[in-house]
Formats: sequence, C-alpha cells, structure tokens
Amino acid sequence: MLLPIMLVLIGCRSGGAPPPGYLQVDIDTSPLALDPRLGTDAMSSRIGELVFNALVRVDEHDQFAGDLAASIERPMPTVIVFHLRPGLRFSDGRSLTARDVKFTYDSILAPGSISPKAAMFSELAAVDAPDDTTVVFRMHHPYAPALEMATVGVVPAGTPIGHRGASAASLGSGPFAVESFVRDERVILRRNPYRSAAPGAPRGIVFKIVPDPTVRALELAEGICDFAENNIEPNLLGYLEKRPALVIERFPGTTYQYLAFNFRDPRLKDLRVRRAIAYALDRRAIVDHLRYRTARVATGMLSPENAYYFGDVKNYPYDPDRADALLDQAGYPRGLDGWRRLEFVYKTTPEGQRLGEAFQAMLGRVGIRLRIRVNEFGTFYGDIQRGNFDLMSLQWVGITDPHQYRMVFDSRMTPPRGLNRGAYANPAMDRLVTAGDSTLDPSARRAVYRKVQQLAADDLPYVSLWWQDNVVVMKRSLGGFRPYPNGSLRSLAEVTIGPRALAERGP
Amino acid sequence: MRSYLARRLISLIPVALGVVTLTFALIHLIPGDPVIAMLGDNASPADIVSLRHRLGLDRPLWDQYAAFLYGIVHGDLGRSISTNEPVARLIAERFPATVELAIAGLAMAILIAFPLGFAAGANPGRAIDIGAMGFAIVGVSIPHIYLGPLLMIVFSLNLGWLPLTGRGGLSHLILPALTLGAALAAVLARMLRQSLASAGAADYVRTALAKGLSRRAALVRHALRNAITPVVTLLGLQLGGLLTGTIVTEMIFSWPGLGRLLITAISARDYPLVEGCVLTFALTYVIVNLLTDLAYGLIDPRIRVE
Amino acid sequence: MKRHRFSVSLVVGVLLVGTLILCAIAGPLIVRVNPEAIDLAHTLAPPGPGHWLGCDALGRDLLARILWGARISLGVSSVVIALSVIAGSLIGGFAALAGGRTDELVMRAVDIVLAFPGFLLAIALAAILGPGLPDLVIALAAMGWTSYARLVRGELLALRERDFTVAARALGARSARLLVRHLLPALSGPLMVQASFGIGGIIVAEAALSFLGLGVLPPAPSWGNMLDSGRAFILVAPHLTTAPGVAIGLAVLGFNLLGDGLAQMFGS
Repeated sequence: MLLPIMLVLIGCRSGGAPPPGYLQVDIDTSPLALDPRLGTDAMSSRIGELVFNALVRVDEHDQFAGDLAASIERPMPTVIVFHLRPGLRFSDGRSLTARDVKFTYDSILAPGSISPKAAMFSELAAVDAPDDTTVVFRMHHPYAPALEMATVGVVPAGTPIGHRGASAASLGSGPFAVESFVRDERVILRRNPYRSAAPGAPRGIVFKIVPDPTVRALELAEGICDFAENNIEPNLLGYLEKRPALVIERFPGTTYQYLAFNFRDPRLKDLRVRRAIAYALDRRAIVDHLRYRTARVATGMLSPENAYYFGDVKNYPYDPDRADALLDQAGYPRGLDGWRRLEFVYKTTPEGQRLGEAFQAMLGRVGIRLRIRVNEFGTFYGDIQRGNFDLMSLQWVGITDPHQYRMVFDSRMTPPRGLNRGAYANPAMDRLVTAGDSTLDPSARRAVYRKVQQLAADDLPYVSLWWQDNVVVMKRSLGGFRPYPNGSLRSLAEVTIGPRALAERGP
Repeated sequence: MRSYLARRLISLIPVALGVVTLTFALIHLIPGDPVIAMLGDNASPADIVSLRHRLGLDRPLWDQYAAFLYGIVHGDLGRSISTNEPVARLIAERFPATVELAIAGLAMAILIAFPLGFAAGANPGRAIDIGAMGFAIVGVSIPHIYLGPLLMIVFSLNLGWLPLTGRGGLSHLILPALTLGAALAAVLARMLRQSLASAGAADYVRTALAKGLSRRAALVRHALRNAITPVVTLLGLQLGGLLTGTIVTEMIFSWPGLGRLLITAISARDYPLVEGCVLTFALTYVIVNLLTDLAYGLIDPRIRVE
Repeated sequence: MKRHRFSVSLVVGVLLVGTLILCAIAGPLIVRVNPEAIDLAHTLAPPGPGHWLGCDALGRDLLARILWGARISLGVSSVVIALSVIAGSLIGGFAALAGGRTDELVMRAVDIVLAFPGFLLAIALAAILGPGLPDLVIALAAMGWTSYARLVRGELLALRERDFTVAARALGARSARLLVRHLLPALSGPLMVQASFGIGGIIVAEAALSFLGLGVLPPAPSWGNMLDSGRAFILVAPHLTTAPGVAIGLAVLGFNLLGDGLAQMFGS
C-alpha cells in the first residue's frame, strides 16, 4: 500500500546532477539572502561577489581595489569620488550607471529600511550621482575606513528591498546571474550573457548545500563535487590527498582565531594571569596536531598579508614554567593537590569542544581549572553578547581595514554597540583606535596601527591563536584557480573545466 | 464510531494549543535573540530597537502570545524574521520532502521488520532467531548520525550502487530511508518476534496445530493477528521518533525538508518560523496517531472504539 | 525443556550485563591510564601496544575512556530507564484505571509531550537545567516517560477485556489486587522489551544532549560522547567510533537478553 504512494511522490522529479559545463561547489550552509543589501552572512557575500559588482572589492593582495570604479579620488577629507568603468551592464542588458549605485545606497539608508547593513554606514552622510559615471560619497567626518563602505553589491535602480522575501534574487552586473535559489538545497548561477567569458570557463555554478562534513568529503572523493573551500575537516585532507583526481592547495589566509578574556572578572583583569594563560597554551602543537598544519601561529589580528600588519610585537611562546611563575606572583599558588584557586568557565559550541578540551588540558598543566560549557550556537552567541563567559574562542573572518580594532577593543564598543564582548578598557587603546579612524595619511595611519598591535600584544585583551589557511580541495582537471587571502571565490568565474571524462568514481 | 471520530478530532485542538503554547513559552525562554542573530555583529543600538519594534518583539509577552494565537486561528503563521517570507509558504515548500522521507523510512522499517520478526518469532531459539535479533540490536544501537555516513561509505563510495545525497529518483531515497527506518525496523521486529513467540505457545495455536494445520499456517492465520496489536501500538509510539529522526537524516543527506528548516530557525531564534515548524510536526504526529488508533479497531475488534 | 531455553537467555544476559558492570567498577582500577590526559603527538593513533584500542583526536587512550565511560553510560541509563518506567507506568496505569475524563486529560498531555520535537525540548531543558549528571538524568527521564505511559495504558485497556481480568472481576477481586496479581505480570513483558531497547537509545541520547549543553562535562568520557566526537573521523580513524559502538551494542544485547529472560519468567 505504501509503495505506490512513494512512487507517485517520486515519479515526477529528476536527479540532481549539474548541467554540462557547470561547476559543482559544495558549501556547508545556505546563504541567507541573495540581495546584497540584506545578506550579512559569509556565504551570501561569497556568492554575491560572483553575481554583483561593487564600487571596490578586496583584491588578491588583501587591498581595496576598484571594481566598478576605474579610479578613486579623495579631493577632500570628507569626500570620495568614484569614476565608473564604461560599458557596464546588468545581466538583463540594462546598463549600470551611477544612478543605480546611488539607489542601492539610498535604499539601505532610507528610514525604515530593513537592511541590516545600515549600521555600517553611520559615517556616510550622502551618496551623489552627478553624472552617469561619477559617484560621490560624502561623509560626516574625515573617515579613514571609508572604502569598506564601498563594497556593497550594486542592484538596478528601483529594485525593491526584501519585498518578496530574502530568497528573491536581484539582478547584478557580475560574471554570473542567479538561475535559481532553493534554500538549504542549492543556488544555481549561470553566465551573465553581457559579460565575456574565456573559452573553457564554467557556464554556470551549482552551489550545493551539504551540511555534513563527512558527506562533503565523500562528494569530493566520488567526483560529484568539483570544488570546496575551507569546509573540509583538516583531518580528512590526508585521505583526500590520496585520490588521484583531486588536488589540495593551501594558501595563507586572513581568518584570525583568538582567545578572548572577560575583563568583568577581576582575576582576568590581572595582566599576569592573562600572560600566564598565553604562555601556557601550546599553539604550535594545536596547529600541528588538531589543525593539521592548516594555520599559522598568529601575532595579532592582522595577518602578514594586510598592509597595516606589524610583526614586531611581544610574543608568547609555549612556556609553562613562565606561566607557573606568573601565576605564583599574581597570588594564586598551587594547592596541595596541584591546582590553583583559579577556575574559569569556557563557553563554546559543539564544533569548538575539541579545541576547548585542548585548552583545558594545557591550562590544567599550570594548575588552572577550565570548565567547558558547550551550547548550541544560538545560546552560545546570546551568552557571548551579554558578556556571560570567562574565556571563549572565536574567529574574525575577512578583516581588511584595521578599524576592526576599534570595534573590538574600544571601551565604548561593548555589545550591542560594538564587538568588545570582553569589556576591555584601556584609555591608551581608546585613543589609538579613535585616531586610526580619522587619520587619512596612509603612513601616519600605519604608524598608529603599529602601536595598536604592539599594545594589544602587551596588554593581551586577546590571546592571538592563529591565522587559518584557505584550503581548497578541487578536481585536478580544474585549472587557473587564483586564491584570495580573504577566501573570496571570485576567480571561479575564470577557472577552466577540464574534460569531465577525467572524473573518476570510486577507488 | 462517527461520534468517536468527531470527539477525537476535537481533542486535537487542545493538543495543538498545548504544543503551540509550550513552543511559544520555550522559544522565548531560552537565551538568544532573533534581532541580534539577524543583525549580526554590526548593529547599532538604534537599529536593534527599531527592528525589535517592527517585529513586535518590544511588546509584552502576553500581547505577543495573543497576537500569535489570533494569527493561527485566522490561518496566518506570520513572517519569518530572518528571511521576511511567509512562514506558511516556507513550510509548504519543505513539508512534502519530509513526508516523502518519513513514508519511505516507515515503509523501509516495515519491509525489514516483518520478514525478520516473523522468521525469528516462528523459530524461537533457533539460529535464524538469534541472527535476526542480533541484526535488530545492531539496528537499534546505531544512531542515525553515524549510520548515515556508514551506509554512504559502503553503498556509494565503495560499491558505487547508490547516489550520495540529494532528492531525486527512488535511488536517492534508499539510503536516507534505510538510515531513518533502521532503528524503527529493529524495534518492530523485536516486538513482532516477542508477540509471535508467545502466541506460538498459546492454546489456540496448539489447537490449530492439533487440527493439522502447518506451523507456519497456524502462525499466520491465528498468531499474527494477535501479535499485531502491540506492534501497531508500538508503531504509534515510535512515529514521534521517526519524525524527530528526519531532522538528523535531512542534515546528513542534504535533504531539503522541514527538519533543516527547524534547525536553522532555532539557531537564528526565528520565533514565528520555529513555532510554525513545531506546529506542523506536532499536527502530523497527532493525526498519524489518530489513524493508528483507528487502525486498532480494525485489527483487534476486542478494542472497541466507544 | 522450554524453561531451560529461557534460562539460557537470562543467564547470558546476566553474564553480559554483569561483565559490563564489572568492567565499569574494576576496569579503571586495573587499566591505570588517565582517561583525560591528552597527548597531541598520538592523535588518532591506531590500536596497538600501549594503547590497545588506540587514541582519540586529542591523543587520549580509548581503552581507559571506554572503561571510565562505562560508569557514566551504564549508571545514567539504568537510573533514567528506572525513572521513566516507574513514572510512565504510574501515569499510564492511573489514566487507564481512572478512565473517562481523567484518562482523556492525561493522554492529551502525553500527546503534547510526544508530539513536541525532542530537539527543541532538549535545548529548552538545557537552558533551564544545567550541565551535570543529575540534570542530565532529569532531562532524559522527562523526555522518556511518555512512551511507557502510552504502552501501559494501551496494554491495560486491552487486558481489561481479556478473559482472566473478566474472571477475576467476576470473582470479586479489588482493582489493586487485580493490578498486582494479574495485570502487572502481564504488563512486564512488553515493558521489559521496551525498556531493554530504551537503554541503547538513552546511551546515545546522552551524546545528543551533551551536544546541546546538557550532559557529561568535558573532558569526562561517556560512550555517547565518544561516539559523537568520533563521528568526524569515520573516514580516517574508524576505531574512534567502533570502540564505543561495540560497547553500546554489547550493553543493548545484554539488557535485551536479560529483559527477554525476565519477561518469560514473569509471563509464564
């Protein structure tokens, strides 16, 4: 009785192989929205970069560079002028003009707009379009990080925002257009007919959402998936490396993993305790054995790829003896059982539990007890926002402008205003990060952030753990992939698909 | 009979109300905030206040609850906070996939359980009994989340017989159905075996045997009928587990069903979407249970539906 | 002859469960390896001398973790099963015997709990309760009692119509006496079966709850959380999941045989 029902249910549907000439890329979560004014999640912006153009984008050297803009001027400290490239077209053939750019920004900034990106633009007073190829940003104050505001994807003038819900796709001028989006299942992109493509380049991309990490690896092993970035468990790389049809490449990345302290706790306000914890963590061993060497031990939030990076800061190599001495000095001697009167709560998610257990064991060696509290992400995130933790570890993804330092270390930037979740407060840091926002001269600004990085390493609001590599697993037949330090997938528009016949199945 | 059915249908209302109320209470009770989850790390306090106001989250809880109930009564489940799409539409898009998976899992469970349970119950103590029950124990002690990838490795990666993931033809359905149905199959087979084995020793079967019926015929004709009541009870009990199992199975097999929608909604604290999904799951469960109860009367006339 | 066969499953069941309990009690005293000591140089080490079952993703000895985990997994699941069966039987029995409105009310309450997705219930319980063993037991029992309530009620309703009940009633037996002398023995079979299967489910459910912040605190081992954390390594280090998987399987087998034997003893 049941079988006929099943057959009826199934009969009308076809299988899931991508069309010929399309690339299949497996991703772990569904993008939230394909309207660049709505999606704040990483996956929305990764896919959005292939569909939309922005005034500027972060390039392969981790610098802001013109995308729609052919040139950028700063005639006054509060004004930026973008001159658009000629001959730009949306995927329906309409030409893209400065009016579309102005519309995109205005619809975000309009009162009552539902765009969660509005908060990024508090310094933006107005966007003007004096002619078809010129866009002018006017700011309230001289604002050094202004180019970061120019990275929003541009939609055609008149496109309503979130009217039909977030899965409604907008038109863009990028190399691809959205063919279909089924939430939690797949996003299919096809070539924008008004953009030239190299011969052999993919005719489209199927982003398939595969939540289970083992299954993502299996899809690569079976040759179903052509490409995956940063979502394959490091322990599986060795296994995939043995498959002749696959190639694994590691590129230095800018994603920064840190351990944060909560300064509301008087014990953690003591610099000696923070430094002891930094010395007690064997970051090298964790990178080697838990991350399988897919990361670099970090000295600060900015990676060496960043134009504002300075490595001449205080370092904390693994040194449990030094940690022991610091804790003794701080007034926490070991008891008869070997433990000190120091116990901290470490909040994490299920994915972060293993790392937490490594910290727990390492801190245990210097007599600090760590109690691990594992919660699902919603609860964890709520706790972090409310400052309900002693220690926690998270990562910052895609930092290009160093003003992120102000968001995380300025004493006025506690949630919900900013990201200073540990309530770190140091007047010297406040002065520096404020100066960093208003210092326009690049070399003067570099000098400011050199001091910021040195102070952050001395005063330790975070223990810098590592910068994660971008790890790409792809078919050997795929050619011409160029990495971006921030993990952007923009070069998928230019890769060449080799003969599909090379795709092997099974061992 | 008709008045019984009417009474049962009416009794669905308090259950639905109970589930809805419990969901509302729990989702608002647990820590986390839909507005912060949605606006992410860059929200200004003013944005948070205005979004909270627009979503009605700044109103007293009682008020929100009343509005929510009013909406449900008028067939409006509201809009998802994170995607601004109507909850009813999101659910309608996903529900068929989950139903398909659940039916396939149930069918798979029954297809496995009946031959196994019968073979074991008809031959208690023999090798076939031990083998079948050993299989059942393996089935019940492997969680979905582990069985799924295991089946994929064997049947897809190593043997290349079946596709890995996705929703498509019948071949796409076999591994998820097996993953989902294995635990239920094991429990059913075990219960069937138990009932048959004890029925096999009962007087009426011995009488039938004495009358010259073969053992198999006696079991099929007399014992199976008696044995099936507890099996149906158990089936009703286990359906909740089957529905919950779809959540994990959908995650593993990238199956675009209601379970994944619920998981996403919970972690985003998307209140209207969580409430809609839970209500759908709960109604499915109680309606299927009602059908199970009605099936009792058909199978065992001694249980009168008053 | 028949009696003898039933004792075999009882004997094997008792032996298996007994061995597991013995391992839980004596194992950690014999294998004196710290189950919580990490050794990053030996992550995912395969079984071999020194580490007879290999090492996990943090280089901890799996044999030591299995033995220590037995204490938690067996202890928690036995207590939870006992609580669930007692609470479920009382509530289900009460509903069946009371009948009418009360029955209706109780069963609708059971429906609400059963119809509620366990995942959300667990998150909520994790928020209300905290980590730690007593809270874990409460949460698991709170989610587990309903199936026993429905089973007991259903069976009682069926038994009410059976000959021996009618006969006993005709002979003037009081409800309580009827329950103890006739109904309970008849119920024990299905209950034993359900409970013995429930054990495996609870050991695994414990892992799911620790995933949500309710459960055994890391780094303490339980079979459930070992199985769960080994899952990511199924392609490269299957021994991480095989060891706890086999342990859970043996426990389920043992309790099944035990339940089987007991059910026959009561039933006959």
